[in-house]
Amino acid sequence: MLLKYVLRRMSIGLVQLLGLSITVFFLIRLLPADPVSRLVGMNASKEAYAQAQAQLGLDRPVLTQLLIYLGFQPDVAPGLLQGSLGVSWVTGSQVTAEIAAYLPVTLELVTLSFLFAFAVAVPVGMLSALRPGGRADKGVFLYSLFAGSQPEFWWGLLFVYVFFFKLGWAPAPLGRLSPMTTPPPATTGFILIDTLLAGQPAKFVEAAHHLLLPVLNLAFVLSGPIIKMVRQNMLRALQSDFVLYANSIGLPRKVVARYALRAAMAPSMTLIGILYGFMLSGAVLVETVFSLGGIGQYAVRSVLAFDYPAIQGVVLVITAISLVVYLLLDLIHAAIDPRIAY
Amino acid sequence: MSALPDIEALPALPPKPADWLFRIGLAIVITVTILAVIGPYIGPYDPTLTTVRVAQPPPSLLELPGLLKGWVAGTLEYPPHLMGTDVSGYDIFSRVIAAPRTDLMIALTANFLSLVVGVFLGLIAGYFRNFATELLMRVSDVMQSFPVFISAMVLVTLAGRSTSNIIIALAFVYIPIYIRLTRAEVLSQKSRGFVEAARAMGNSEIAIALRHVLPNSLTPALIQSSVTIGFAILLTAGLSFVGAGVRPPTPEWGLMISTGANTIILGEWWPSVFPGIAISLTVFGFAVLGNALERRYEDG
Amino acid sequence: MAEPILKVRDLAVGYPTPAGLLQPVKAVSFDIAAREVVGLVGDAGSGKSTTALALLGLARAPGKIMGGTVQFEGRDLLTLSDDEIRAIRGRDIGIIVQNPRAALNPMLKIGRQIGNAYEAHNQGSTAEVRAQAIEMLRMVGINDPERRVESFAHELSGGMAQRALIAMALSSRPKLLIADEPTSGLDVTIQAQFLDQMWQTVQSTGSAILLVTQELGVIANYCDRVLVMHEGRIVEDAPVRQFFAAPQHPYSQDVLRLYREKGSDYPPQVAAGAPVLMQAQGLTKNFPIRHSPKVVHAVDQVALTIRRGEAVGLVGESGSGKTTVGRCLVRLVDPTDGAILFDGADLSRLSSSAMRAYRSRVQIVFQDPFDSVNPRWTIAQILDEPLRLHSPDDPAARRKRAAEVLALVNLPDALLDRRPKGLGAGALQRINIARALILRPDFMVLDEPTSVLAPRARNALIALLARLQAELGISFLFISHDLTTVRFLCQRVAVMYLGQIVEEGTVEQVFASPQHPYSRALLSAHLFPDPTHRRVDHPEAAALQGEIPSPIDLPKGCYLASRGGFANYTCRTTPQMLTQQGGRAVRCHRVVAGEI
Repeated sequence: MLLKYVLRRMSIGLVQLLGLSITVFFLIRLLPADPVSRLVGMNASKEAYAQAQAQLGLDRPVLTQLLIYLGFQPDVAPGLLQGSLGVSWVTGSQVTAEIAAYLPVTLELVTLSFLFAFAVAVPVGMLSALRPGGRADKGVFLYSLFAGSQPEFWWGLLFVYVFFFKLGWAPAPLGRLSPMTTPPPATTGFILIDTLLAGQPAKFVEAAHHLLLPVLNLAFVLSGPIIKMVRQNMLRALQSDFVLYANSIGLPRKVVARYALRAAMAPSMTLIGILYGFMLSGAVLVETVFSLGGIGQYAVRSVLAFDYPAIQGVVLVITAISLVVYLLLDLIHAAIDPRIAY
Repeated sequence: MSALPDIEALPALPPKPADWLFRIGLAIVITVTILAVIGPYIGPYDPTLTTVRVAQPPPSLLELPGLLKGWVAGTLEYPPHLMGTDVSGYDIFSRVIAAPRTDLMIALTANFLSLVVGVFLGLIAGYFRNFATELLMRVSDVMQSFPVFISAMVLVTLAGRSTSNIIIALAFVYIPIYIRLTRAEVLSQKSRGFVEAARAMGNSEIAIALRHVLPNSLTPALIQSSVTIGFAILLTAGLSFVGAGVRPPTPEWGLMISTGANTIILGEWWPSVFPGIAISLTVFGFAVLGNALERRYEDG
Repeated sequence: MAEPILKVRDLAVGYPTPAGLLQPVKAVSFDIAAREVVGLVGDAGSGKSTTALALLGLARAPGKIMGGTVQFEGRDLLTLSDDEIRAIRGRDIGIIVQNPRAALNPMLKIGRQIGNAYEAHNQGSTAEVRAQAIEMLRMVGINDPERRVESFAHELSGGMAQRALIAMALSSRPKLLIADEPTSGLDVTIQAQFLDQMWQTVQSTGSAILLVTQELGVIANYCDRVLVMHEGRIVEDAPVRQFFAAPQHPYSQDVLRLYREKGSDYPPQVAAGAPVLMQAQGLTKNFPIRHSPKVVHAVDQVALTIRRGEAVGLVGESGSGKTTVGRCLVRLVDPTDGAILFDGADLSRLSSSAMRAYRSRVQIVFQDPFDSVNPRWTIAQILDEPLRLHSPDDPAARRKRAAEVLALVNLPDALLDRRPKGLGAGALQRINIARALILRPDFMVLDEPTSVLAPRARNALIALLARLQAELGISFLFISHDLTTVRFLCQRVAVMYLGQIVEEGTVEQVFASPQHPYSRALLSAHLFPDPTHRRVDHPEAAALQGEIPSPIDLPKGCYLASRGGFANYTCRTTPQMLTQQGGRAVRCHRVVAGEI
């Protein structure tokens, strides 16, 4: 039952990803951009231009390019079917390898921010729902509205100004470690894990110190919608018929609280998934402010350089991760709420 | 005859929106809208021309009254830089109040485009369910699964960094949201009794869709609008911040923040802080407004 | 009267709203004695459910109990601590509520919930608690309780969920049971089964009952005493027989007027020679099921004849197909098979202009008055819509006609420029009827037009419909599950079960001597508002067992064969035909043969 559901969802997801790959493929070729002259420069000779064009494979018909990209002509170059996203036009290395280097940075940042935002937002939202309309509730509500509508990159700059320039509590926003420090061997790509694996607790502390501001920054903007959602779901649960009934048959407070909590958590899963997917690409601004070198910055670099394979790869990978996250959260949702049928 | 509302079925009342909050939101939105019209003309400097005074900090609060008096009396050498100047010598105040022309225009137009197209497609997809509309929904699904920021960046950069391309790119990423919202509402409205009654009376399907279903399905999309406008402003600014938005010297808040970003770690806070406050307040204003609309809708 | 176990004095409940404090319960005082069954009746919004909850010290958010006392066995519940009152709730005072499926936690298995309720007041090991839950379900007549404890609320039918609630409520043998509209939304046969079950169980536990209801039939058949609630106050407190014989308060008199005036007369039949207006022949409607070759047999070979000026009732429980028949007649649904003749013309052969003309002569009124009007339009626009489509008149003349029909349904024309918001169900249903009348139709389908109305509005609407029919000579197809209403309004009645008509005849024939076992069960389950023939005093044998078969996989023989002891081998194997007999028709070979 469960397996069948997961398989069905995965196959739908694969079809969706295929549709997305093809759409992106055509979309970027339809737009009036000339990646060749961007690479060889405006003043390059005709021959140099043609040579570069052939080298990138752009002299082939578009359908052939698509087939190569999808992996139906492995003798020319490996494609999606062979698990390859092609070669970056700028660096000449495999896009998969580059993404594998950049992606963990973003995943680490976003996941930590989510955990942090949750740790704060869930109790706050719940307390606020206990006395709806009270002073504290109004304050919390105002905060959630405000935090949910802020330019996160600007707050990042403010944080840097206050905590680095003025107070000196935070390190300079120049990466995941100080430029002087040798990074640990990239086993997982998650720097907090890699430093521990390498047995370098000092570097772990340094990395955590560098992550502190970006995580606070993202968690601040995330806390808005999460608080709002938790508060709303909790209110709805507390005012539901079944909680009223549970009270009216004299169930202990503890049991009633458990009923309400579970009912409030279940519908939250969907929004968390959407937020997570949104943040995977939305984190780019915070990555830029703190020069973390995540997948978002890789995307910016690729887009500005008209590096088509890299663009296609980034969009595909981020969407694929979002779909997996949606699936996982739907599974959790179904585990909490039996009304959700597989 | 009972003319009383059914009190026993009274829905749980949410805390009433603090009225002052709604007024603040409305005031912000109106101010920004007015600035979008007259902003570029009322500043002391041309927002697109540099001055010779580079990176001048804003006057302190103590100097301010004297400066303003002198300005009015015409005894100053040059009009005061109320928010200082940036590294290129632009007057920040003039640019902050000129920027709504860019930011708000992009956000409003993009939202309007996606609203109109999305509501129209959503109505069709919800009301007439057939192979074509199912296909439309699948396409919409694919579009919605695009990472928003990156797709907007790709579209703008590859199509050319112009205002109109930003508008089109934003409209493109927001259309699926409106399709989905409207379709869901249409699906719930079209099985309602008054739609059946209209059919039994002999209305044509098109008349029912336009006269009965559409007006009753608009509310979610309209509420979403104020959220979308806010996010569109953030997105426009974000695109500029990573260098994929409007070109300098267009006055645009995100571009201004970006200009100041390089110097803020050296303590030059003013080039980024003032435009940031403007974005922060503007988007907050739209969020407040949207929230008030949402509550009114939920209360019926 | 012995010392009451419950003494309520000046109880008041308020809700803060933006417009100020709403007080649905103003100053309520009453007593309940041990083992007494007390009915609490009143309109929607009169505060009766709020009162019921307040007896437990609860109010639906954001309401608050504003004052008064609730003395239970000498203690004022409203002054107790949270722990003390929780100990009383569910142990000494049980409650069952309307909409039982929403009252159950959707995320926990039923057995677990019953277990939680049991553990709130008792000690026990996990196995004991589970055994107890199964025992409780068995006690309230749920088949296969071992399997049911593993179910979730959404997997239960409304009737079953209500039994689970009563199992929880009665397991601790409470001294008082509060039943807040326990049968609203249930079909009549299920309602009767349930109320009988509750009555019997309470007789053995010796609990007193406060039965909150809108149904006078429930009051008349099960209660000893009546409290009438109106605008937040108890306006009448009387023994049941006295209440029905001589109501004191104007509101009570209003509610009972219809029954007292009409008494036991049936409406007169139309003249024998009246022309046939609407006729359905072999009407059949199947709905396809997605991803399946099977179909839902909603309507199966229905024949109906309605003459000019005649009102025909179509009765049956939910799922019987009666609504689909109505929709077929007004062509909201295209029948799968069969013919509909209107004024002799076959609807399926009408040209599109003739179909337009048909739409103006035949109208429908739906069940939910709130849902049937476009909430954004004014009443004038709503009433104008049919005219705009079918009448050549100019706007001024059309507005005059709109005011006319409003007057016809006893509404002031000041309503014309209002919107539906804020109007009550009764007023809105009149507007729906006015809209149906505005083109002066010959025929109207009324699809459960009274089922969401409170007693007083319902009675007023029935009186209105009777008057309209007499004055305007319109023919009605009156679809309803409420037999009392049908009895007041209709000349003939057809009983539907699982898409088929099982019995048809004049109202007098069918109501006075029902022949088909299903009609008998339906009539015996119906609670007529007559306290001199209480159901609890005359145990009925005609009740049906089990559940209604699925309309997808229908039984081969009689559809009712699985639900009673009256069926024999032929019943189970031979499809039954509707057989005409002395001006009535019945679908049962044993009745035709005179066996039952």
